[in-house]
Amino acid sequence: MKNTLTPTCLFLALVLMCMGCSTKAPLNTASEAAPNPVQYFHVDPATAGEVTGKVSYAGPKPTPKKIDMSEDPACVSAHHGKAVDESLLVGPNHSLANAFVYIKSGLEGKTFEVPVTPVVIDQSGCWFHPRILGVQTNQVVKIVNSDPVTHNIHPMAEINREWNHSQGPGDPALTRKFIKPEIMIPVKCNIHSWMRAYIGVLDHPYFAVSKDDGTFQIPNLPPGTYTLAIWQERLGTQERQITVAPGQHAVADFTFKGK
Amino acid sequence: MSSATILKTPAALFPQPLRSRRPIPLDRLIVPLLTVLSLPLTGCRAKISEMPAGTPITIHPPLGLPAVPVPVDNQPTLQTVALGRRLFYEQRLSKDNSLSCASCHNPKLDFTDGRRVAKGVGGATGLRNVPTVLNAAYLPLLFWDGRAKDLEQQAGSPISDPIEMNQSHKVTVAKLARDPEYRTMFADAFGSSDITIGRVEKALASFERTLLSGNSAFDRYRYGGDNYALSPAQQRGLAIFIDPNKGNCAACHTIDPKYALFTDGKFHNIGVGVDDEGNLKDMGRYNQTHVDSDRGAFKTPTLRNIENTAPYMHDGSLQTLKEVVDFYAGGGNSNPYLDKDIRAIKLSGQDRADLVEFLKSLSGDLPSNAGPTEKR
Repeated sequence: MKNTLTPTCLFLALVLMCMGCSTKAPLNTASEAAPNPVQYFHVDPATAGEVTGKVSYAGPKPTPKKIDMSEDPACVSAHHGKAVDESLLVGPNHSLANAFVYIKSGLEGKTFEVPVTPVVIDQSGCWFHPRILGVQTNQVVKIVNSDPVTHNIHPMAEINREWNHSQGPGDPALTRKFIKPEIMIPVKCNIHSWMRAYIGVLDHPYFAVSKDDGTFQIPNLPPGTYTLAIWQERLGTQERQITVAPGQHAVADFTFKGK
Repeated sequence: MSSATILKTPAALFPQPLRSRRPIPLDRLIVPLLTVLSLPLTGCRAKISEMPAGTPITIHPPLGLPAVPVPVDNQPTLQTVALGRRLFYEQRLSKDNSLSCASCHNPKLDFTDGRRVAKGVGGATGLRNVPTVLNAAYLPLLFWDGRAKDLEQQAGSPISDPIEMNQSHKVTVAKLARDPEYRTMFADAFGSSDITIGRVEKALASFERTLLSGNSAFDRYRYGGDNYALSPAQQRGLAIFIDPNKGNCAACHTIDPKYALFTDGKFHNIGVGVDDEGNLKDMGRYNQTHVDSDRGAFKTPTLRNIENTAPYMHDGSLQTLKEVVDFYAGGGNSNPYLDKDIRAIKLSGQDRADLVEFLKSLSGDLPSNAGPTEKR
């Protein structure tokens, strides 16, 4: 037994060693050419359309509430100007800013490339900038602390992994990713209770945040019928069906009732 | 003293059951066997005793510190402490004669180096922040990961560590042996002029046991009956420090009824050193124990003299005491092995400022006779 085993083992070892050397290059190419290469969907510029619209708030314009940062004197001085609550930002002509508009369905089966440019969220003046942001799954979110104080950013994700991380003054930016679609992830600072942001994570690039004048634009959309959804942190969500014909411009205005 | 240990050693080496199993024939064999066996063993030990000689001393702890634990086989003497002090500032302990213990444990910086992580021979970058030697005498385990069981074991490690002093113990012993002054000092300290790494370690450990710092404002307030030793802000900070529902700092940075070490001597994952993927960069205590809950756990450092030993944490990642307090207030960095006691705590800006003020009250008197000595 022993006598037969030894040459067998030796032979096997030799084979393994040879394989190790000779197959190294082919193995690498094999892993690069994965069995199911991801086929990214590319929009045909000839037929691409877009959705635009305006978001309005029908209620009375809210009086801005002052945020009390006296808890942390460093924040008071870091926040140049007075800090007011931004959870309901109503501009002239009932325009509603900071609403998150996105394609909720109609893009099934299409895989979109992940943008290489990171989305930046800055902690500045003890405030998150921007407050509302969209990001694609696996896109890099770069978290910056521009303040002279420590922040502890805490995305309270439910579908993605929930985490929090301390970031002192001058610390390098954090780079994190969210791997699953999730609408919306509330973000807080564990140290400064008034800091709030919301991150919308989608597996496609068709989302927008309404601007100060309430308008939004979702360009470069392949023709089709979609469910367009809108989310606002205090006013909730709305949805509607839209159809984008080839090369056409669809309009979808939203109005939230006053509270 | 030394002959007693020599006699004890071989018997201890011999397993008990073996002797009782076959009593009659073996017993006759064992006596000569023992003698034969013990000869080479005791021979080695008997040749150079590592028991201290000279004048035994008692180390008197300052206000706020307990009696100094001392190993049976290394009772401090005037001579071992003096030798340890000399060795502590001895640059010949390093490969290129550039570094002594004091290079990283600088008495001017309360026996730390002010760097993020240690710097070794040739500029080698260490892995972790240099802890103070002050009050290390009380620690049950040494190093951030607790890999040394006492100061003796600790002392020899940086000498031979490739990223620290990078010199084999053999070379260290040979270098010192070339210096007649050392031969005299070793003779005074251990009864013969022989130099062994064990003697070097024992002398260093005995010197380090004298590096105590107490009688801080906190000690005078808490143990000295001086109600005015702490400012109002520091008193408020102390209250937050010990309140389990506020800072809860004393859960690990312990304060006892008669003394305060400000460390439980244990290991905790407080979420320092979490990378962008959410993983731990340094497994810490886990590398010693391979217990899952020890992943990313590091020894609780003392907080005594903390004002003078920045930067903080095992990786030196926090620069100021304010950053440290804010780090805890925010609940650290999440990771799967975070200690259950680490969570976001509700502390107002005033609370956090008071805590920082309190931490500054922990700066104690520094030991006298601890600096470098003139050559004799």
